[in-house]
Amino acid sequence: MTVAVAESGSPSDALVQVRDLRTRLGAKLIFDGLELAVPRGSVTAIMGPSGTGKTTLLRHLTGQLRPDAGSVRVDGEEVTTLSRRALFGLRERIGYLFQNSALLTDFSVFENVAFPLRQHARLPEELLRNIVLTKLQAVGLRGAARLMPSELSGGMARRVALARAIVFDPMLILYDEPFVGLDPIALNQVLRLIRTLNRTLGITSILVAHELAAIRQVADSVCLIANGKLVAQGAPDELVHQDSPWTRQFFGGDADGPVPFHYPAPDYATELGFAGARP
Amino acid sequence: MNANLRRNWLVQGIASVGDCGLFFVAVLGALPKSLRYWRETCRQVWFVGAMSLVIVMTCGLFVGMVMALQLYYTLSIFGGTAALGTVVALSLFRELGPVITALLVAGRAGTAVTAEIGLMRATDQLDAMGMMAVDPLAYVASPRFLAGLIAMPLLASVFNAMGIFGGHLVGVTWLGLDNGTFWGNMTSTVSLHKDILDGLYKSIVFGGVVSLIAVFQGYTAPPTSEGVAYSTTRTVVFSSIVILAFDFVMTAFMT
Repeated sequence: MTVAVAESGSPSDALVQVRDLRTRLGAKLIFDGLELAVPRGSVTAIMGPSGTGKTTLLRHLTGQLRPDAGSVRVDGEEVTTLSRRALFGLRERIGYLFQNSALLTDFSVFENVAFPLRQHARLPEELLRNIVLTKLQAVGLRGAARLMPSELSGGMARRVALARAIVFDPMLILYDEPFVGLDPIALNQVLRLIRTLNRTLGITSILVAHELAAIRQVADSVCLIANGKLVAQGAPDELVHQDSPWTRQFFGGDADGPVPFHYPAPDYATELGFAGARP
Repeated sequence: MNANLRRNWLVQGIASVGDCGLFFVAVLGALPKSLRYWRETCRQVWFVGAMSLVIVMTCGLFVGMVMALQLYYTLSIFGGTAALGTVVALSLFRELGPVITALLVAGRAGTAVTAEIGLMRATDQLDAMGMMAVDPLAYVASPRFLAGLIAMPLLASVFNAMGIFGGHLVGVTWLGLDNGTFWGNMTSTVSLHKDILDGLYKSIVFGGVVSLIAVFQGYTAPPTSEGVAYSTTRTVVFSSIVILAFDFVMTAFMT
């Protein structure tokens, strides 16, 4: 089987460098020697079938989860061996958009976005207010600053979480499913925001997403992960037309291919009790 | 129950106690950093303390009234009703005040703390704090632990005061015991060091135990609705057992 992995930046200009990553969660092998490099200043999309470990990879990058083996370097720092203090220092330079937004439910929209600033930067209240309102304006929710998270729709909560993730203008932003629940207008604005942050501030972005059309608009490269490894990597348009079994099945949406659609199970007919009736 | 299952339960129980001990050390380690979040600590003292006042005052009043009724009857058999104030006060200060207050706080505030932290875990709020380089142990766990330590002796004192008031209502106002006898015997017998302070020490320990169990159960709750529900129940069950067990041990050392 051919693995269509193209070179994506040498280790020297890579902000994120993953080498021989091995992770097992319970009985399931998630990563089996994953290799990945994300160039500084790029927008990289991580794609792959459900349950393949995309969110787990983001958790490795931020030190929320330690791998069984392998190396994870972010901005030259080995995340797997960092002390708690050093890890928190690194995280101050990383923005993270959670899959379910993870807004602090006791705080208003404004206070949610202001939270990282209040904790780490001693800014005058006026300046802090302006920064927060600027970020909320960028996601179109300046008018919702006084609302509580319980008053927001799923898409609005995601946009608030996005404003919070970018409030510190980090060097790296990790987006876990950023496009879920967004209406076409909000989706377009969020895509534009990701691209603007990347172009104007040079922020490196890693997106975990399934929306191919959105990814084609925003990502410089796509990393396709399956069976615990990087199976294909390249520009979105190239990858879609690449003739490998992985890309054909994934982008074609076929049930048959190297990625099984069905979770491992005993024979269907036997389980239904029809096995004996077969001629 | 077979031997394997029993051994498994035993191992799990010991492992949980060990985990709770390690968590306690981590919370203590985060205490200096949590002083930065003193507003959060004040908010939690308000939540654990002030919001528990109604239940603590009401229960204290009725416990004092019931005690006075029962003890008046018992003491009257021996002709010792003059000691009613003393016995009510000693029972409250030394035992009932700290123990019942701790049980009430475990039921009211402990469960709420567990559910709150458990839901924060289930909705990734704790992870989000960690990702914003804010230590959830310092921001969430330690202020709640501190709040329990601070609020419990204050609540126990309020419980005792209401209990004595209840005892006075029944003994003096209702049953006709002499007011001077009630207060005079009490003040001449109850010792500040041996009775009142020992009770306060107990309530401080109970405050630490209840808040530690509540925070630990919330922090380690499985991120499901069932998991949070079980953890909340465990907070009440474990707190009640540990309070009564600690009470026995501390009483044995203090008498």
